[in-house]
Amino acid sequence: MKSGKTVNIEPPATNVDQAEARDAMGRPIAQRKNSEVRLGREIQARIGQQLRAMYEDVVKQGVPPHIEALVRRLTDNDDGVA
Amino acid sequence: MKLDPAIRDQVLTTVPSLRAFAISLCGNIDRADDLVQETLLRALAHIDSFEPGTNMPAWLFTILRNLFRSEYRKRRREVEDADGRYAETLKSHPEQTGRVEFEEFRTALAKLPSDQREALILVGASGFSYEDAAAICGCAVGTIKSRVNRARTRLADLLAIDGVDDFGPDRATRAVLAGGGRT
Repeated sequence: MKSGKTVNIEPPATNVDQAEARDAMGRPIAQRKNSEVRLGREIQARIGQQLRAMYEDVVKQGVPPHIEALVRRLTDNDDGVA
Repeated sequence: MKLDPAIRDQVLTTVPSLRAFAISLCGNIDRADDLVQETLLRALAHIDSFEPGTNMPAWLFTILRNLFRSEYRKRRREVEDADGRYAETLKSHPEQTGRVEFEEFRTALAKLPSDQREALILVGASGFSYEDAAAICGCAVGTIKSRVNRARTRLADLLAIDGVDDFGPDRATRAVLAGGGRT
């Protein structure tokens, strides 16, 4: 995990479907695709936001005291580990 | 056991994120904390197998994930959060995202196959690289990428269908976008 808050939530830039989409005359269907892609991006951005918010809510709670105590008990002295 | 305090601090520093991952896997706080404790017991018992200087979070996440796979996953995932403790824990949820929307998101996330959910969380929330996520899950990088993509697509479908008014662009924007092809 990186210490910075970089997250790889954005999809790869390449979009094979879009590149290959053609209408009956063989022309790229860019117009319709653009709106769909835009809607898709908005939803994906919201998904990324929700995902991180959900996760950060827990991260912000820090280390629960009983878990910190456990780790210290297990690592601070020679008698801690069974 | 005497342990280099620097290593111990690395372990402690990872705990908050480890808990967040555990909760996303278990869907239940108490079980997640049990899982985290068991993970730390195992990790510290085998701390000699950790190479100083390598990725501590990835090492701990791998142990937790394997533990979850081998034991916890058998028990039923409690999506419903019957006692409300999960919701209670998340009361600090940012205000810009509505309560209803957030609940819908959580429900949709719970509907994903577990391999897709864990891949999405590792990459999209924990901030691991695809390579680290692949190492944690013991699979190829391409597999992780494909799981993340499928997870995102499935989530978008679930949320677009279930929460048109609550999720994403407001209705007016959506109507414009849905009428695309004529603009």
